[in-house]
Amino acid sequence: MDNTAAINTTKVKKKSSPLSHFFGRAILYLILLVGAVIFIFPFFWMISNSLMSLGETITRQLLPKVPQWINYKEAWEQANFSKYFVNSVLVTLGTLAGLLLTSILAGYAFGRIDFKGKNFLFGIFLATMMIPESVTLIPNYLLIRGTIIPLPGGTWINTYWALTVPFMANAFSIFLLRQFFAQIPKELWDAARIDGCDHMRFLIQVVMPISKAPIMTVLLFGFTASWNAFQWPLLVTTRDTWRPLMVGLYGFVQEAGPYTHWLMAGAVITIIPILVVYFLTQKQFTQGIATTGLKG
Amino acid sequence: MDASNVSINTKSSGAFKRQAFKDQITGILFTLPALLIILIFGIFPIGYSIYMSLFNWQVTKGAFIGDKNYLLIFGSWWNLLVLVTGIALFILGFYVWNRAFQSMKNGHRLAHIIGALVLILGGVIFVTGWGMMYETGNKDFLNSLIVTVYYALGTVPAEIVLGLVLAYILYQDIIGKEVFRIIYFLPYITPSISTAVVFQIIFSSRETSLANRLIGLFGADPLKWRFEPKPVLNLLGLDVSGLAGGPSLALLTIILYGIWSFVGYNTVIFLSGLGNIPKEIYEAAEIDGGSKWDRFWHITVPMISPVTFYLTLIGFIGTFKAFNHIYVMRTTSAQNTVVTTSLLVFDRFYKANQYGVATAQAIVLFAIILGLTLAQNKIMGERVFYG
Repeated sequence: MDNTAAINTTKVKKKSSPLSHFFGRAILYLILLVGAVIFIFPFFWMISNSLMSLGETITRQLLPKVPQWINYKEAWEQANFSKYFVNSVLVTLGTLAGLLLTSILAGYAFGRIDFKGKNFLFGIFLATMMIPESVTLIPNYLLIRGTIIPLPGGTWINTYWALTVPFMANAFSIFLLRQFFAQIPKELWDAARIDGCDHMRFLIQVVMPISKAPIMTVLLFGFTASWNAFQWPLLVTTRDTWRPLMVGLYGFVQEAGPYTHWLMAGAVITIIPILVVYFLTQKQFTQGIATTGLKG
Repeated sequence: MDASNVSINTKSSGAFKRQAFKDQITGILFTLPALLIILIFGIFPIGYSIYMSLFNWQVTKGAFIGDKNYLLIFGSWWNLLVLVTGIALFILGFYVWNRAFQSMKNGHRLAHIIGALVLILGGVIFVTGWGMMYETGNKDFLNSLIVTVYYALGTVPAEIVLGLVLAYILYQDIIGKEVFRIIYFLPYITPSISTAVVFQIIFSSRETSLANRLIGLFGADPLKWRFEPKPVLNLLGLDVSGLAGGPSLALLTIILYGIWSFVGYNTVIFLSGLGNIPKEIYEAAEIDGGSKWDRFWHITVPMISPVTFYLTLIGFIGTFKAFNHIYVMRTTSAQNTVVTTSLLVFDRFYKANQYGVATAQAIVLFAIILGLTLAQNKIMGERVFYG
């Protein structure tokens, strides 16, 4: 009796283990799926509402009966999006060009060149990451308005420069690139130097080609920061001349309040460029995060 | 042997010096563009903010008024002194509780008793100071601090826990891992103005709004969500009111948005952190017969603690900076229950044109962030396990 019981339990144990393993896996996937649904749902709701008729947005079906693609055209025209869209693209491109230049150079200097005052400077750069925008916002506004020091052209309010120049360098990008550049083996530089290579040529011909992932990361973060910027552009654009998409969308939200279908169409339009860039770069981007460290 | 060595050394040291000089010049030239921009738009404004805060500055510079703008916030310096003393005692109590008298026999018990007393004393003095300040200082500002703290406590811990759980699951051999990661990161990368507008609609006060229909499934009456200044606890039937009663329902919807938009960032960072934990440790634990749960709790959590620390810090600083989505999701009927300090400063400046007052408030906010960062460094830094 005792014997059989013992055999039975061992059998049960052996049997139950793959089964409980299966259930364990199932629970894991369930949690992941629930998470995914929650993360995706607002996007689904945005798109579905953007294709509804006004009546449908009030009764709140899950999906429109007939997709109203015309909502996009109407929202685009009503919200003056063609102007804002072009503005946003130009502002983002300009900011990125500047950001890449400053952060690659500075990242290289901090990561690979020994010079006096380096640690001090790097410390100052890092410290700026903690500074809340609330503190810098007001003086920067006065600076851009030309109140503190005279600017070429009198004031930079409503100009391209106001939207781009202040964002052409940030500590985060420099830090990210520095971490990566510092890991490049010293032997590469020694070999290059013997061949008569200076820092600039080494940076362009050797370092940059092998640093695509972190550079992409900087680009993607820079792109989203510039494209999504709101507070500063709200402050320094009083006319449509250079007003970017996010400020335009906010204005549209104020005006088009109850017209949910237009609002959602507008929101989808502002998100599309981000999605395109994200899906194109996401692989290199996650690699960038993984390799640049923040390591344990 | 010696001679040749020396000659090589001098030769290369000449080249070395030239290279060092070149390096010095190149290093400075390379950092210069970034330095200029960061100096002008990142560092100079702090000094100028302090300068502005000493003036009666409304659009244009007025008379020098010294500490008046700060007195408007604190009521009096004495109030601030009491408050800071309370905090200092609190920290001292914490220190005594943890460390002091460790070398003594029974030192622990003694330290705990003294530490607890000092902690309580510090707490009492802090509350007194806060009360005095609330009496004579700027209520709007102090309220905004409470709102900010609610927002921070409502978002950061939840983001950390959810981020770690999702990352830990994704780190197992999961089919479609990449897809999940892409999805989780989406809310972080998309413009907050655009996604906050969707949350506006989901949490609108209409009876047919999605949030109301969802709670309707559980038989609950429709709520006003973004428009509801009453504390959540009050709505649950507890008799509390005002800001002391916890976050309002309006703030809760903003907290939900905050969590939704930020968990993915934590997940991605945690995931890369998990990759850095040596596999051997897990294998050793498996041989020792630890359960999966044990392994998570005794290996993953301590090994990942530097990442947790980093994310907590970034998270807290982020909540004190948060602006865009709160600005979009706030409603006038939610009153001051959703106005965090960064919004308050912006309103003072942008709507009320009181530049001097706004900069003084911003400086105080900055000081709080600095203090928090240092405290977190000290407290959590000691508990963090650096492998």
